[in-house]
Formats: sequence, C-alpha cells, structure tokens
Amino acid sequence: MDAPTAFRQQLLGVIPSLRRYARSLVFDRHAADDLVQTALERALAHWHQFDQRRDILVWTISIAHNAYIDDRRRHARAALVEPSEGFDPDASQPAASSDVGLQLDLVKALSRLSLEQREALLLVTLEQLSYAECAEALRIPIGTVMSRVSRARIALRALLDGKGAMPPQGTLRRVV
Amino acid sequence: MNTAPNDALLSAWIDGELPPEQRAEVEAWLREHPEDAVRVRAWSADARSLRSALDPVLDEAVPTALTQIVWRKAPAVLPNVAWTRWAAALALFALGGAVGAGLMWRMQAPSTTSMADASAAKASGWVQRAAVAHSVYVPEVRHPVEVKAQEEHLSRWLTRRLDVPVKLFDLREQGFELVGGRLLPDASGPSAQLMYQAITPPGAASAAAKAERVTVYLRKPEDATPAAFRYEQQGELGLFYWVEGKGPKSGPTGYALVGALPREKLLALAEAIYRQDPSRP
Repeated sequence: MDAPTAFRQQLLGVIPSLRRYARSLVFDRHAADDLVQTALERALAHWHQFDQRRDILVWTISIAHNAYIDDRRRHARAALVEPSEGFDPDASQPAASSDVGLQLDLVKALSRLSLEQREALLLVTLEQLSYAECAEALRIPIGTVMSRVSRARIALRALLDGKGAMPPQGTLRRVV
Repeated sequence: MNTAPNDALLSAWIDGELPPEQRAEVEAWLREHPEDAVRVRAWSADARSLRSALDPVLDEAVPTALTQIVWRKAPAVLPNVAWTRWAAALALFALGGAVGAGLMWRMQAPSTTSMADASAAKASGWVQRAAVAHSVYVPEVRHPVEVKAQEEHLSRWLTRRLDVPVKLFDLREQGFELVGGRLLPDASGPSAQLMYQAITPPGAASAAAKAERVTVYLRKPEDATPAAFRYEQQGELGLFYWVEGKGPKSGPTGYALVGALPREKLLALAEAIYRQDPSRP
C-alpha cells in the first residue's frame, strides 16, 4: 500500500524543519538535503509504522538521525578525521586563539561539539522539542537528554569564550 | 535551596523542564547567586544566537527535488505505470474541477475577460508553489506566520516587498480570521502568504491547534494577462486562482487561495477576496 495523501502533506510540512536539523548536523547545504531526501524516502517507505498520535517531526527527525548514523558508519574510516566532514571550520586559522579577532564563530564552535551534545542541544533549542520528545527522537533516556544539553551548553560557551576546550568525541550509537 | 543546583538543573530550568517547585528553588538560587545567573543568561543568549544562525534555513525555498520525492509513488514493480495512472487521474479530476469552477464563476460574477485560452488552463508554476507553501506552513503550530495579524505594518511591509498592493482581506463574515503573513521567495521574485484560520467559539481552545486554515498566496504573476477564475484539486487541497489585471495604481496581481475545504466553502472565500481586491475600483 502506498502512503496516503494526508501523510504526504504532513511530510511536506516538516521539510523546512528537517532541512534546518540536517544543516545543523552536516552544515553543507547539499549534503544536508541529501540527508533529508534519504529521511523522506525512508519515511514514505515506512509510513504505516507512523502512529498518528505522535508528532511527525519527532518521528522524521528520528529517521534522519538514524540515516546520518548509518551514513557515518559507512564512511567510518573517513570519519576518523571528523567531527566536521563537509564543513571546514577554517583550517588555516588557529582554532582556539585567544585573539578576539580570531575567535571561533558560533557555527564553527557548534561544529566542534560532539555529535551527541550538538544534536541534543539543537533539538531542544532550535526545534524546541521537549526533553521527552528529544528522548523519543534519539531513543535515549530523558536524564541523558538533560545532561547532554547542559554539557553542550557549557562546551559551546567555553568554545565561544575562546577557551577551546575540545570535548571528547563520544561514541556513536545507532538507535533502533 | 541550600545546595547549589547542578548545571543540568540550571539548563533544564532554561528549557522550562522543571516541575514548579524545583523551578522556584532554582529561581531563588539565581537571585542570590549572580555569578550563576550570568552563566545561565549566557546560555540563553547562545540559544538565541543559534536560532538566528539556523532559522534562515526555514525560509529557504524547499528544493523541488524534495517535494517531488514526497509526492512520488512508492517505487513499485512498475513505477512508471503507477505514476502515469496517478497523474492521469489527477489531471482528469483537475480538469473537471477547472471547468466546473469556470462555469460557476461566470454565472455568479460575469468577468470581462474571455474564457482564458488553452495555455492558461494549466496551473502555472506559481500556483504550484502556492500549494506547496500552504502545505509547508499550515501544519505549523509554533510559527505559522512570520508577522502576526495584529502588527499594523504587515500590509505595508508586504506591499513594499511585493510591489503589488497587499490588502489584509477581511473574511470574518465567511468565518475566517487573519493569523498573519509571511514573505516567501518564489522563482522570479518575492511572494506573500496570508494565513486565515476558522474562527472557533470561545472556550473551544483545544480545537484551536486543529482549526481549519486557508492561505492566500499573492505575487506578480509570471504572465501579466488577466486570467479567468480557476479551480484545481490536488489531493485534499482545493485551489482557486486568478490574475487581476492592472488597477488604477498597480500592476497585475496573481492570487491563489488554497485550503482543504469543500469547493463551495472555498469559493465563498475566493469571492470575498475578489470583491475586496484593492486593484478593483
């Protein structure tokens, strides 16, 4: 059976938010839209698994998250040089200079957070998901959301203050 | 609070995630500990900066490749056959609708323009974009519009940016009130979307989130020829669209009214808009 029109219209409605979320993961516009495309295709293929009582944005973000993790795993070797493939936080510039003029800008700082922290922070501040929704999208406990968000805030502020504390890269887990 | 709240608690306070009692405790702590208050304010400021850095993505035109994926039939064994059949059914449906609406309109409000020629019988690109813009923003709960109806500069702002007069149509007699509007990028220039919502009786607050919404999409038409009133159906969505000719003070304006409403109801709204058109004498 094919996805009903109403479901397709719901999907259309979340594309802008999905694109913003994807952009905050991979930064590069085209790579981000590729990720959105994959997520939309998977959502359409599994539309019957969507419970209409749930928020479609949370559901599709969860799909995009998994797609991203799959993609990273596929490129596991290349990912050794992550965290920001597809986005160059300006290699020519000393990353954490104390010189104010060379301070990392916001997006660069963001790209230096671990994926886990970055995702939690963005889902809560940008998509304005509740901790419960964020936990649902990432399939992690609410307490973990809470600690990741706060650690992300501290790390981001440290980077913006030019302290350059590079948080350790967390391990990556695909949620099922 | 005697012991310092940990950072996770402070952070959860920003996000409004604490139960009332704990919230009050954190607030009391912050009043007495300015150094923590400064940190918390910096985190909030960072959140705002993040939003302003990434929110513009929301206003980018959605690549057609992505919308096409959404409308594509599942890649079945014979995808081409499935697609063709679906498209043919849709075309038939749309044609029937357009003819019917054309007749209805001519009966109720004889237009000075002749029945549009064959080329106009097909919805142009901007009408399609009106449908997409409708689908994108109507389900939005938190940010359905960019500028709310109450802000008096809405009309002036859109008029200036579009270079066509944008009037905030009053559809209350038809049971719809203005939510607000937004500026949208279109293929060859800006367009505007006005969103209206069915007026719900007071007390029916829970229904508000699911209230019926219609959108009016306005722009300088790609083709300046005044075109007859047309109707088209796309899935659940009905579209009335027309192009108003040059008014005394303005160039032609393209209108598309989009909504998941029965055709008669949508027609009543379209007529009200047509009557209130600022370019009409």
